[in-house]
Amino acid sequence: MVSDKEPTILVFACNWCSYAGADLAGVSRLEMPPHCRVVRVMCSARVRPEFVIAALSRGLDGVVILGCHPGDCHYSEGNHYTRRRALLLKELLEHVGIEPERFQLRWISASEGAKFAQTITEITGEIEALDRRREPPPEG
Amino acid sequence: MEQELREIVRKLLEEGAIEYFIGYAEGVEPLHTTPCFIERGEQVQALVWSPLCPYNLARYLHQMKDGAGKVGLVVKGCDARAIVELVKGNQIQRERVVVVGIPCQGQVDLAKLEDAFEGVEAVEGKGDTFLVTVGEKVHSVEKERLLREKCFSCRHPISFEYDFVLGEMSPLVYGSESEFAAVEELERLPVEERRAFWRAQFERCIRCYACRDICYACYCQECIFESKAPRWLEKTTTPLDNQTYHLIRAWHMVGRCIDCGECERVCPVGIPLRRLYKKVEKEVEQLFDYQAGMRVEEVPPLVSFQIDDLVIEESS
Repeated sequence: MVSDKEPTILVFACNWCSYAGADLAGVSRLEMPPHCRVVRVMCSARVRPEFVIAALSRGLDGVVILGCHPGDCHYSEGNHYTRRRALLLKELLEHVGIEPERFQLRWISASEGAKFAQTITEITGEIEALDRRREPPPEG
Repeated sequence: MEQELREIVRKLLEEGAIEYFIGYAEGVEPLHTTPCFIERGEQVQALVWSPLCPYNLARYLHQMKDGAGKVGLVVKGCDARAIVELVKGNQIQRERVVVVGIPCQGQVDLAKLEDAFEGVEAVEGKGDTFLVTVGEKVHSVEKERLLREKCFSCRHPISFEYDFVLGEMSPLVYGSESEFAAVEELERLPVEERRAFWRAQFERCIRCYACRDICYACYCQECIFESKAPRWLEKTTTPLDNQTYHLIRAWHMVGRCIDCGECERVCPVGIPLRRLYKKVEKEVEQLFDYQAGMRVEEVPPLVSFQIDDLVIEESS
């Protein structure tokens, strides 16, 4: 991406923990960079790895999946599957040259509004730093 | 060995134990073989076996779903693992397949063979060498010179799942090279160079889908790449859509790829696809201690989990 362009980061937030966490960050009026597009999903395991691949290949600068802490999943075990997928997907993406910072999985509970803001700030910073280093992608 | 194979097949067909048998027959061009379907005892003379039989015949087992009877087929070690995976994925029933295992002596890379010799009539595997017949002469060639790349690092040339075995179960194992050597070579590059490498590869892709169509593991009724809503790919072959295609395909190979190498062999532009799928295979093995196609009872890595799986690092 060109250096003066602001990044676009796709955030998948699970309905039961992380989306509520994001909401708490909002109502608490915490400040964070405005580059995220939050998509609410019923569970972090709802996020097909294909979503991540398609988003990153089509030019989004980063994808973040947020889920309940392991053990706290509303559906008991969804985030355990997500964790396995994410570990593997990260390796695959890195193998073809997509930096690991561009795809991250974090656990955020409904009460962790401050952690949500901090996570978003941190990840946005990392991705901005990467974009500054990276040359523009080819047309298409 | 061919004669032995024909006798087994003739017997199976005449006893009515199977409806048809899937094997290899002489192809149209010299040195090429082709998959063939034998339905009657008198057709068995068409069956051949040589180190020039690359096809993974398990690909044709999906058609079984339409019939009710049993099907027989001949398998190399790699193909046999495909059968295990198909059973695991509830695509076929093991008891409906009659497996004839061949202790594989390694497969010949046709391009290497054609570079080395002209007018080859036959190739036969014998111990550490291939016997190459050119006219009247028989050349004895070290296997290393002619083997397909995937055969160098083959860990399981014999089948675990079989009903009949041809010859002796004493295959050669070429343990000299790590099977992940080509992947590790790429891993050592900085991330930018890897990106450039794969971009150059994906740019050449014409998205003919040959790699998908030859793959035994691609058995979805509706392929994700053909779905109209949502539409994952545009029709045109842009580098970025090609990347989406190859990454999604690599993702679908998780815990399924048995490294038959057919995708790479049929690729018309020569993309080193095995380096992509081998990476997935390697990580699955290291992270989840899982190898595809080993045992029917095993649970695939992404439909199971352990509470103490490696924890994603939390930087905060």
